[in-house]
Amino acid sequence: MADMATPAASPLRSALRRYGTSSLMLLPFLALFAGFLLWPLANSLFLSFTRFDGINPAEFTGLDNFRQLAGDARFRHALGNTALYVVASVGLGTLLSLGLALAFNGTSWPHRIMRTLFFLPSVTSSIALMLMWKWVLFPSDVGLANTVVGWFGGHAVAWLATPGLTVPILVLMSVWGGMGYGMVLYVAGLGSIPEEYYEAARIDGASVWQQFRRITLPLLRPVTTYVVVTGLIGAFQVFEAVYIVFRGTNNVGGVLDSGLMIVPYLYDQGFTHFKLGYASAIAWVLFVIIFVLSLVNLRLGRAMKEL
Amino acid sequence: MAVLETVAPVRHARRPAPAPGRRARINRHLLRLPFYLLSLTMVVPFYWLVITVFKTPTELARTPPSFVPHSPTFDNFYDPDWSPRHIDPGHLQGIFQRFQVDFGFWRFLFNSLFITTAITVGSLLICSLAAYVIAKHDIRGRRVIFLMIIASMMVPWQTTLIPNYVIMRNLGWLDSYPAYIVPALAKAFVLFFLVQFLQSLPNELIQAARVDGAGEWRIWWTIVLPLLRPALAAMSIFIVLAEWNNFLWPLIIVQSDEMANLPVALARLNSYFAGPDHQGAIMAGGLLASVPTIAFFLVFQKYFTRGIALSGLKG
Repeated sequence: MADMATPAASPLRSALRRYGTSSLMLLPFLALFAGFLLWPLANSLFLSFTRFDGINPAEFTGLDNFRQLAGDARFRHALGNTALYVVASVGLGTLLSLGLALAFNGTSWPHRIMRTLFFLPSVTSSIALMLMWKWVLFPSDVGLANTVVGWFGGHAVAWLATPGLTVPILVLMSVWGGMGYGMVLYVAGLGSIPEEYYEAARIDGASVWQQFRRITLPLLRPVTTYVVVTGLIGAFQVFEAVYIVFRGTNNVGGVLDSGLMIVPYLYDQGFTHFKLGYASAIAWVLFVIIFVLSLVNLRLGRAMKEL
Repeated sequence: MAVLETVAPVRHARRPAPAPGRRARINRHLLRLPFYLLSLTMVVPFYWLVITVFKTPTELARTPPSFVPHSPTFDNFYDPDWSPRHIDPGHLQGIFQRFQVDFGFWRFLFNSLFITTAITVGSLLICSLAAYVIAKHDIRGRRVIFLMIIASMMVPWQTTLIPNYVIMRNLGWLDSYPAYIVPALAKAFVLFFLVQFLQSLPNELIQAARVDGAGEWRIWWTIVLPLLRPALAAMSIFIVLAEWNNFLWPLIIVQSDEMANLPVALARLNSYFAGPDHQGAIMAGGLLASVPTIAFFLVFQKYFTRGIALSGLKG
């Protein structure tokens, strides 16, 4: 970091003034950061060791919440569901993102239209997309999905009330909505690979497949890491899709809890049952999962080196 | 044509390497075919959404569904023939007639626009101020502060959901604009990105201004902010999309009908009216909720891909 020019006349006074100004400029951010992130974070850790209904003072219960979580069948179900959802949606989403980028990374108009089309869900209101899916998957023959099933001679399916279909539908919704975003990242990555590498490889007689394996894939690894890690983090936090599309009248997780995930369960315990201490314990489990995943993300390591 | 500029590759589009021989070229097109087919899964649901908006309630309830509206109508936005006194299954309320609050649906459009704008402008100002100090001022503790902010990027915001809800309640902010806006202003990711961007810029301009006697606030406003413009554009895209779609936090802090944002208002509407004849009005609401972000995208499209790529590749 280069030294900033300090007028020679009165170094002490100007330094003081500058420190004062610097602190003042930092203040709004730091105050909000401390007030709405650091303090709540510490507070939620504290609450996770208490029984707290939001009205009476929190009552310290030690590790009770975590012990209860370990034996909570619904929580284990939510964890398993989330893991399945995360692996399937990130895996499929990343593959399709890469495929789309390879297929449509040109400048010709069909490629541009395709890219725009696949990117469209990323800029459409997400509530609109959820409600659209709910309408597409309408249980009777007026729904689009069942109309298509009907063309092939099938009977109307109760898409949103069939437990075995819940996670697959959530995965498809997530992949459908997210692959265009990953595609944009991969297209950018492809654009930064020098053309000379491919020319050299061709002169050496490398096949298209070999070029892909030996040049494209390795040089895209940073993009892949980014797409996968941010995808994992986002997928672990899934809430809206479960809540909007699958929530029943008295069950946030859909039929037989088939769509119950970590954050919907947190919401359920915290804001429908007002077990805020227990919900805080769930929040901390989520925190640990995301934290570990983030550590994997090399971007942060690089950022720390730079400073 | 606007669409053609959309989602252009960041640097310079690299055409796929011209493969030797005709067979290889045909192979390439064959490989692309499944992805062209995949685009049908994009077109069809969106088409379904749009035609739903222009169908009458009667047509919506009919099986098999039509793929071109028989008599296209705007009734799903506003039906002049609907009357609360005569129940007529052929005439339901349009989206602008559905909510019992002043200004009806406009209220939620306003809420979402106001909240999103306030958070975007506010957080860019606050974060750019702090980023300027961290990147360009030689003060003690700078490093520690920055490391703390980087570390906080690993915290899922849902972890702070419950304490923040309690804070809002204790401040008496539930069901108010401050509850939407104030906790959303200090964005670690934005600060991190702006600091990185500023560090890559030379100090000369700032130093020259300082020699000329400009104060720090003036330097921030007249030099740093203009220099940051591409980074601010990239960040505003992320903030606008995230806040426009924000759902869980509003769901928790909003109690009244008036203070809902678009996602919460539409979710409530959807939970009251499940029948197919009501889908026209619901989809009309979804379409209206998508217009601002799609318009934003079309206007700033060149920043979109650049912004996404910058955040993914450079950071």
